[in-house]
Amino acid sequence: MSLAPSLHRTSSRERQHYARPPNQPLNALRLRTPNPALSDEAMSNGSNNNTMGDGPDNMAEEDPRAALFRDHYARTEARLMAVLGGGSKFDAPDALGDGAQPRLEIPQKAHDARPPVTPKKAARTIDEDDYGDDEDGEEEEDTHTSPLLSKSAPNGIAATTLDTPSLRIPPLSNKFGLERISTPSSEQAKSSDDVRKKLQQDKTAAEDAARRSFHTLFYTLENDRDAMLEQQKLDELDRQVETEMSGQPPIATANGAPTAPQQGTLSTTNLGSSSLTLKHLIARIDAQRDMVHASDAQLRSLISEVRKNRSKWASEDRIGQEELYESMEKVLMELKAGEHAHPFLQRVNKREAPDYYVVIKHPMDIGTMMKKLKQFQYKSKKEFVDDLMLIWSNCLKYNADPAHFLRKKALYMRKETEKLVPLIPDIVVRDRAEVEAEERRIRNGDVDADGAEDSDDEEPIMASRGRKAPSKGGKGTSTARKAPPAGLEGTPGPDGKPAVPSLNNAVSNLKNEFLRADSEMEGSINGFSTPPPPGTLTPLPNGILRSGAPGSQADVSEVDGTGASVSGFTLDSEDADLDDLEYKTWKQVTKKDRAVIAAERNRLFRGDHLNVEEPALLRTRAGMRRWLRHRKQALEEEIKDGSANITDGKEGVQATANETLAEGIEGEEERQIPDYYDPVSAMPDISERLQWVEDSEGHVIQQVEEYMRIVPKGLFTAPDSALARKLDGNLRQMQETRKICAKIGIVKQMQLQSQMYTNQFQKYDPQPFVEADIEPMVVSEDGPVMSPYVCTAALQRSVGKIFYHAGFEEFQPSALEAITDIAGHFFEKLVGSLGVYRETPKMKSDIPVPTPDGHMTNWVPRFTKEEAILHCLNANGVDLETLETYVKDDVERLGTKLAGMHDRMRSHYAELLRPALDGNAGADGAGAFNDGSEQFVGGDFAEDIGEDFFGFKELGLDREFGLTMSVPLHLLQNRMHNAYQTQNTSNVSTTGVLMEEPAKFEPVTIQNVGNQIGLVQEWFLAKLHDNNNQDLVEDEDLPPKQRFPKPRLPPTGKISSPRKRPLREQQQMARKKRKLDEDKDDNAGMENGLSVTSSSFSKGIGKPIGKLKLDMPSQKENQNVPEPEKDDGSAVGMISPESILAA
Amino acid sequence: MLAFKHPCKLAPFELTDLIQMMFVSGETGEPAAETTTLIESIVQDQVQHMLRECSALATRRGSRAISTDDLFMLIRHDRAKISRLRHFLQWKDVRRSVKDSDDKGGDAGADVAAGDADLAAGVVAGGGGPGPEPGKKAKRAKVDLVWEVQSFFNENPPAKDDVEDEEEEEMNFATLQRLKNADERTKNMTREEYVHWSDCRQASFTYRKGKRFKEWAGFGVITDSKPSDDIIDILGFLTFEIVQTLTEEALKVKAAEDLYKKTTGGKPENRLKRKRERGLFDPPEEAREPVQPSHVQEAYRRLQRGNNKARAMLNFTRSVHRAALKLI
Repeated sequence: MSLAPSLHRTSSRERQHYARPPNQPLNALRLRTPNPALSDEAMSNGSNNNTMGDGPDNMAEEDPRAALFRDHYARTEARLMAVLGGGSKFDAPDALGDGAQPRLEIPQKAHDARPPVTPKKAARTIDEDDYGDDEDGEEEEDTHTSPLLSKSAPNGIAATTLDTPSLRIPPLSNKFGLERISTPSSEQAKSSDDVRKKLQQDKTAAEDAARRSFHTLFYTLENDRDAMLEQQKLDELDRQVETEMSGQPPIATANGAPTAPQQGTLSTTNLGSSSLTLKHLIARIDAQRDMVHASDAQLRSLISEVRKNRSKWASEDRIGQEELYESMEKVLMELKAGEHAHPFLQRVNKREAPDYYVVIKHPMDIGTMMKKLKQFQYKSKKEFVDDLMLIWSNCLKYNADPAHFLRKKALYMRKETEKLVPLIPDIVVRDRAEVEAEERRIRNGDVDADGAEDSDDEEPIMASRGRKAPSKGGKGTSTARKAPPAGLEGTPGPDGKPAVPSLNNAVSNLKNEFLRADSEMEGSINGFSTPPPPGTLTPLPNGILRSGAPGSQADVSEVDGTGASVSGFTLDSEDADLDDLEYKTWKQVTKKDRAVIAAERNRLFRGDHLNVEEPALLRTRAGMRRWLRHRKQALEEEIKDGSANITDGKEGVQATANETLAEGIEGEEERQIPDYYDPVSAMPDISERLQWVEDSEGHVIQQVEEYMRIVPKGLFTAPDSALARKLDGNLRQMQETRKICAKIGIVKQMQLQSQMYTNQFQKYDPQPFVEADIEPMVVSEDGPVMSPYVCTAALQRSVGKIFYHAGFEEFQPSALEAITDIAGHFFEKLVGSLGVYRETPKMKSDIPVPTPDGHMTNWVPRFTKEEAILHCLNANGVDLETLETYVKDDVERLGTKLAGMHDRMRSHYAELLRPALDGNAGADGAGAFNDGSEQFVGGDFAEDIGEDFFGFKELGLDREFGLTMSVPLHLLQNRMHNAYQTQNTSNVSTTGVLMEEPAKFEPVTIQNVGNQIGLVQEWFLAKLHDNNNQDLVEDEDLPPKQRFPKPRLPPTGKISSPRKRPLREQQQMARKKRKLDEDKDDNAGMENGLSVTSSSFSKGIGKPIGKLKLDMPSQKENQNVPEPEKDDGSAVGMISPESILAA
Repeated sequence: MLAFKHPCKLAPFELTDLIQMMFVSGETGEPAAETTTLIESIVQDQVQHMLRECSALATRRGSRAISTDDLFMLIRHDRAKISRLRHFLQWKDVRRSVKDSDDKGGDAGADVAAGDADLAAGVVAGGGGPGPEPGKKAKRAKVDLVWEVQSFFNENPPAKDDVEDEEEEEMNFATLQRLKNADERTKNMTREEYVHWSDCRQASFTYRKGKRFKEWAGFGVITDSKPSDDIIDILGFLTFEIVQTLTEEALKVKAAEDLYKKTTGGKPENRLKRKRERGLFDPPEEAREPVQPSHVQEAYRRLQRGNNKARAMLNFTRSVHRAALKLI
């Protein structure tokens, strides 16, 4: 916002103020001119305006044109004043609401006025009001309106001619405003508005700067604790005040005067900020007041209920209280939150300073002030400020030692106070009754006289309230100052000076500090971190910083009435702030948030341990959004600096998407804290490639191809190498050998056992080792696959392999895990030491070496790769010799040993098998075919022995016909057993003549028992009877376990003597004997069981005898269906023939 | 003399065994009593350490008596020694069977000594020179070690006769070197000298002194079990190995020291001595300067110095590695 209008307004305002003294010729005029301005206030006292008769200027018609007109008019006035060179020449006709003239004059004047001024103060946005509108530039007109109006109507149509005060003047104008009841809020508010706005700006600027510096500076956390403690104290104070307050009823109501009984205008009611929204309503009601059957009080309460934004300070009956208290509270809060406020928060404890109350008669502290504030004990700004100042002066007084640290704090606080005080509108709280009474008086027609009188009357009041001296001073110089208004417009610097004395110096001082702060902030924003020259930094007595001529200022201050007191402040203002400005700003801006964060942490970790009961620090959505936003801002700034890469299209899209999202759901209040303070909310970077990006048509951009890759095969398997191949070979060799071992075991078992049971011999068929790789997997990053589980499993497999290689066929999982862990540790250390050697600082070499990227460098690694590896091996107790020995001895030689062992096993196996082959096969082996086994014809023993008897293999027949080339196990068993028997008993086993198997006997049943010979019929019948008339079963058909042992014919051919049996068989026999009767042995002796076929052949003969002599053990077997059976071995023969495979 | 202060020290005549062993191992001079005492105490220490370890292993195995396998286990990392030990045991077996057959009347062969006696020297006493040639080499029993291939499988096929045992090839450099040295030394010996040499070669701590050796080694104190003859023999063999290794190392140390003295001039008096012409009646040079205890100590130190294998897992940790006593 350009300053020019404000300057104009300033001048006009000045005129207003200066016009008020009754003895001045301008008075009448001046009294009038402000009136329109006043009339646009919240009360917009239409009647008042009416009485003043300034038709066109009347506020009641909120007409933009009128507003424009007024504005122009004001400017014109200022211009005129400048031209005329003195307020005294300014006479009524000029000033009176003559629409045409000012309007005509405006354009060029405006043009004249602005150019010189604007550039100078461009950065100073002064007139912005306090109530939420930051865009001052566009709302120039609005800001001209009184704050009361603008509060509720930011875009107010009701732009008025009223000028917003310039910064230089507010205190004075305030004073006058206070005296005139109808004007106070307007002018005061305006002036305080300005300052407030400024403060706001400063604050935002500071925050901005701080926020910006968040990204560039890293602030340590060391002050957080202090901040937290202070904040805690503040909160405590608040609570204390609150509790003390709760005891007493609010005095406000008590103080409130009874509402006036008679009907007033509603518009005179101070309805606070939002009355603008209701303005038309109010005007309407006022216009038709007669028809409204309600008392004023009722209407007021109605309207105030409707009204929004009423603060807790608002009071119907006390005019001005809301604004005053609100600003006072703000100031107090601001002070309280300062970093130096700590010692002043509470009453001085008598224990801490026993003589304090002797020295200090009127103690004061911020807490007490809060209390007073809440009890509505402040009637005016003056009282409030006095109390504040009392605190600091008390402190300074008590701590007389100039080096005392509290002094510094007090000074700082005082400075702070000085800055803030102008924010408080100079309002005297008054009862409504009083105000209304006055209004009535005004309405009664004695406008002009009254105006004069009023000011006369109330001047003393003001004086009595303590602000007389400065205002008088102001008045004294006012005429003088009005002389060079042009200077004010044109070159505000030196020309502005004369205006200064009229101001309250303290206040102007403050303002100037604001300015300074402002400019400093600008400086820091623009990167001028060096503080402004000390000349501008040190507060000048008069605070006229804009002027470059201190000498004249000094004069002014001496002239000035209050100069002494002001300089009293500044003289002993030892520089309170030694901190870096930026840092200070940072501290102030972020104090509260830091305190909150620190307190959260503190709660959690109080007492140096984790307090589990405390709520956890959780990330919030708002926090994350804030974090993102901060990050984005930082990025943008970087981009602005040009240091960042140019964003591609994706990012742009991304950014906006984020923004809308974030803005949509913003819930929490902003925290002025850099993101690193809020690590909980931090969000990890999402790789750009993983982000959800849409192209211009809203399709998701697939970025997969760019970065997805399949994990290459073989990461988790042993790489193919000579050593690995040898190891694998050894493993295979061992497996093969073990297979032979298993067969040897079977053969040995068969030699001992006459019977074999299904599944007696587990097939030993080890699978070759295959290292399974992981499933195809897609990853999005380069680098190794970090998957501890898979890696452990892979290492375990390798360890298992080594175990097996060392001869362990099986191993316990715990052993495997233990070794795996040890191996893992070892490799960790191995790689760790390799890293150490690889990262040894580089050496300077004489010969430059090319780097991978083409540069030449003189710095070479301390160790070459080979050296590093050797060193690291040595450090871990391994050397090449050991490794070589391992490979040679434990792998290669083991291989040969294993091969030798395999051969030995095979020959041993062949030895074991050979008797079965050639036991009774005869010299040419023809006898081997006597049992008619076709499989045998396949020459399959050959394979086991390692011979190719018939040359089938040579011919490739086995492959062609898919021959298994293996011997059925039952055949083998029979032969093995028999051969073994033969060997052991040295009996000659004869091969029976091969005969056809006779037809089976019919089973004996009840029906055909008559076919049997008579002798045995009886016996058969008895048997059948025993068997429940079921068919009788042949012995041969009994299940193997119940079967009687096969009788064999001893070599002598004599049946009578029981044959010697192998021990095992005898034991079995003995067991059976217990079940069967003793005849069985005879039976056995009669049977000829020398060979399979012969035994089946002899069945016919043996059967009747057996049947005759044997008691069937039980009836259970009767259910057995006779099953086709060839011979004994078939029961065991169920073992798959493959169970013995070629070795 | 230290040796006589301790009741379990070797008796003087056993010390002669020790001196003989040293002589065989290359010490040419007459070692001082301090030297022999030192060596003896080292050897004793080693043997007792072995016994302790063995009984620990046996306990872990669940048996009270120590077995030859435990002894093998102790020296398993020294392949050469293992191989020599196996060799020794095989020939011991052969001798026993020869003796058995001798008893039966045959003159089965203790031939072996001819080719291999050198290897089995130290301990193999008696047998006395070349015996009758029986051609019974095949009878050499194979000493199987538990970690050998045959223990991988549950069937143990009979060994093929024709398969040559490669282990013999493992007789490594050190053994061959020893044989070569012995050969060099005996090359120019007179008959009497050679007789003395071969007598010395038969020196043994255990042969016909089993009881005293057991006492000396601490049987009954360290372990309760009654050791088998095999164990005593193995221990005897190992003690001989220890003495031999120690002496060889000490000689090396001495040689290095001598070389150093020669190059740097040594001490003044030595220089004087050296300058003196060798007289006609001076003792032979080699006999003049026996190994000193300091040499033995240095040799022992060198033999105890381990490689850093044991430190492997201690990298990046602060634990201090405490090396156990190493078997020589």
